[in-house]
Amino acid sequence: MKRDVHFILNGKPVTFSVEPRTTLLRALREYGVTSVKRGCEEGECGTCTVVIDDLAQKSCMVLALEAEGKSVLTVEGLVGPKGELHPIQQAFVDEGAIQCGFCTPGMIMSAYAFLRKTPDPTEEEIRVALAGNLCRCTGYIPIFRAVHKAAAVMRELGHIPGRAR
Amino acid sequence: MKQTVTKNGIGAWTERKYDVEKAAGTLAFTDDLRFGPELLHARAVRSTVAHGEILSIDFSEALKVKGVVKVVTGKDFVHRFGLYLMDRTPMAIGKVRYMGEPVALVIAESEEAAEEGMLKVTAKYRELPPIFDPVKAATDNSVLVHPELETYDHVDFITPFPGTNIGNWFRIRRGDVDKAFSEAEYIVEEAVNCPQIAHGFLEPHCCICREDPATGDLTIWSTAQSAFALRDIVSKGLKYPLSKIRVIAPPIGGGFGGKAGMTVEALCLAGAMNPDVRGRPVKLYIPREEVLLTSWVRQAYVAKIKLGIDKDGKIIAIRNTFYFDTGISAEYGANPVRSAGYSSTGCYYIPNVWTDSYAVYTNKPFGGAYRGFGLPELMGAMEVVIDIAARKVGMDPIEFRLKNILKPGLPTCTGMPMNNHALDTIVGKVVDRIRLNEKEPATRKGWVRGKGFALALKAPAMPADAASSAIVKILGDGTVEVLAATMDMGQGAYTAYSQMVSEELGIPIEKIRCPYPDTQSHPYDWQTVASRSCWSMGMAVKRAASDARQKLLALYAEYWQVEPESITIEHGIVKCRKKGKAEPIDEHIQSGFPMPDGNYKGGPVIGTGSFVPPDVIYPDAETGQSPKSVVHFTVGAVGIDVEVDPATGAVEVNKVSAGYDVGKAISPVNVKGQIEGGTVQGISAGLMEGMYYDEHGKLLTPDFTDYKIATALDVPPDLDAFWEETPEELSPYGNRGVGEHSMISPAPAMDNALFDALGIRIHSYPLGRERVYKAIQAKKKGETDLWEYPYALEQSYKNAIKEWK
Ligand code: FES
Ligand code: FES
Repeated sequence: MKRDVHFILNGKPVTFSVEPRTTLLRALREYGVTSVKRGCEEGECGTCTVVIDDLAQKSCMVLALEAEGKSVLTVEGLVGPKGELHPIQQAFVDEGAIQCGFCTPGMIMSAYAFLRKTPDPTEEEIRVALAGNLCRCTGYIPIFRAVHKAAAVMRELGHIPGRAR
Repeated sequence: MKQTVTKNGIGAWTERKYDVEKAAGTLAFTDDLRFGPELLHARAVRSTVAHGEILSIDFSEALKVKGVVKVVTGKDFVHRFGLYLMDRTPMAIGKVRYMGEPVALVIAESEEAAEEGMLKVTAKYRELPPIFDPVKAATDNSVLVHPELETYDHVDFITPFPGTNIGNWFRIRRGDVDKAFSEAEYIVEEAVNCPQIAHGFLEPHCCICREDPATGDLTIWSTAQSAFALRDIVSKGLKYPLSKIRVIAPPIGGGFGGKAGMTVEALCLAGAMNPDVRGRPVKLYIPREEVLLTSWVRQAYVAKIKLGIDKDGKIIAIRNTFYFDTGISAEYGANPVRSAGYSSTGCYYIPNVWTDSYAVYTNKPFGGAYRGFGLPELMGAMEVVIDIAARKVGMDPIEFRLKNILKPGLPTCTGMPMNNHALDTIVGKVVDRIRLNEKEPATRKGWVRGKGFALALKAPAMPADAASSAIVKILGDGTVEVLAATMDMGQGAYTAYSQMVSEELGIPIEKIRCPYPDTQSHPYDWQTVASRSCWSMGMAVKRAASDARQKLLALYAEYWQVEPESITIEHGIVKCRKKGKAEPIDEHIQSGFPMPDGNYKGGPVIGTGSFVPPDVIYPDAETGQSPKSVVHFTVGAVGIDVEVDPATGAVEVNKVSAGYDVGKAISPVNVKGQIEGGTVQGISAGLMEGMYYDEHGKLLTPDFTDYKIATALDVPPDLDAFWEETPEELSPYGNRGVGEHSMISPAPAMDNALFDALGIRIHSYPLGRERVYKAIQAKKKGETDLWEYPYALEQSYKNAIKEWK
């Protein structure tokens, strides 16, 4: 039997009607938020990563009903009102950190949650923070560069991104 | 005078096409497409035995599940498919040949209902003895995977042997090998083996098919690397006209060969073309576990290499025997076998050659295309054996390699002259950068350090007539649309093509678009494989763009009454300095120019370009010789600096240096990306990847928990990716293929580094912690070699080698 779940999605209140067994991943995709990718649906790849109340989470491992009252941020929600990319997104583009792009939304959300807590990270901290997000194309190296660069840009802008739009 | 001026032409560092959409999450992959409530979902029922006759399939309970619409089985869809050899049916018919083979397809209103239905189908089998060991399968015909092999159609350049398990046998016969061995000062005979590995792309296969109930026209949306090859294979398999099949290939989330040719589309068609389903779109999404269980893999291999070397350290003879484990299908796997075969002297000139390269059927999932296509397998063995040989001869491994290197102009093993390259420069740089000749202490307490080196080479492996074509349209707003049916799966093809078009047309890259392939709008291209695209499709794109330029210049020349040669196109502005003209490209380019004579001329400016390699000749079936067996070889080298913890067998990579002669880097950001990404993929394969089965043929590694691929924590802290540019003669801009090469030799370089660190030779990949630990223990017992072949009772390397003589 379907039940309603209310939460904030990318800054806007939403209500989904879902089966209790439906994962947040499937519910978001069904709703049309398809940046949230299903790479395994077993919690192993990270392509479905979203930020729930400041924490990067694999949405295939979260039931949609668990989002009740929470704030869920996906990579679409990082794009500014005039279409401007968030500094993390821009750094991924600038540094060649994207190849096929399938891991990218999840990777960016993990980086986002991480940089909020760790605005000036070491390379080692970045590696650990991204260890749950697989990328088969890039060899991760440009991704590390991008996260470093995004951190520097955000420090310079003097803002730690956080406001879920 | 150069008539075009742009900032983003050949060799420029530019932003990549589609990266903004990818970063914003707005690019729609196949699974993201929406088809409305008409959409049905399919799920395969898979065999639970590795080899057996199907006695019965009972799906009556499945039909009772709410939402289940139809169940089809192999008998309902009797068609054989295959790129080179038609040995594959989308569902088992009468007999299953591997555990996981589809035996039925459940079609339902939702994915959940299809899954529930799938669980309710039961099949009964009469089990047959399976065969898993490729060496046994090749040499003992008591179990035949394909007794019907004789009846399968195949292309002329592969040689299956009915009555055996050999799906393809490729040979090289040159000179007198026996005589050369008898004259040799040193004989080195060694073997290397490696299990199957998985592509590990992050986007699982997904396909939607629909048949128009009125016309019978088929539309296929799929995660396909090669829209046209897919259309071709479906057309031949179904005996359906090409023109009635449309393939739309949305962006794909990584391919690495695993989405080349045809993968799951025929299975989806078995649902969509069923009379009870026809008209409704059917979606087949393959869950991760099934991707690993039942899609293409890189073939497992056992390679035996015997070298005869004279007293000066010159290799005078080689005898190769390669057994590729192609699983239950060689439809695609037959060709990497050939590719390894016609490159089987590696980067060396060897006058006397005897090579047998076999594709061997076993009761396992099927081997197909994988980044490197036969060459990681060949070089995984060759570069280890060369290292062993150098030590046996008493030469430095680099000096030994350079002494025997395949210099430009020398014949490769098929007899064609090697193209120009700067391999000696690359070797020098790699040796310097990892300080190969310096023994350095480990940086970690109690660990040991070693350095290793390996060469790489690869040619595009494709039919002689693999053609490409492109269309370049200049639109009325001065932007350009490039129709090139290459799949940009991350390698950056569309960025490279845009740079080519920008170079030829003087139009900035931001104004150039490359839509994803659709066989209905795009002109033909064979496949996105083989590191061929920037070269072959590059030729077509360059021709199409210069065709468009000629047309544009002719129109402006008449419009302005000047010579075409006096016109330039600079950053999208058409200029004639003599006449003081400078105008941005506008609607005239599509609607025609009002000429001084009062007539309109022109209309939409469209450039076209086609290309087929003009001079490739298939190697002779008996001798493997050909004046030009392939279009070109790209060469390179890898050096690795590693440390090992003798207490645990843990391996950490300190530094990698990898360089390739790419001819010309069209798009440096992408060349760098390919070298970095492929090197890490190669290290991942060499250190941790292998697919393992239990004694019944059940896959033990069906997920990313058990099938490990490199994570952010496994990346070396220092990866030096570089390239040289020795131009290729027949090439759009001197460029050669580079997409696959970086994957080829990290594994053997690692093996050589471990030998340097530990003093024991490991003959089996992957070089995981457990295996390295075993090697360390074996060394303590005085062993010199570690050999672990899953199917051999004989686990002593020396005895195993002896047995084979
Ligand atoms: S889809 Fe959620 S972790 Fe892979
Ligand atoms: S860019 Fe392809 S998986 Fe990361």
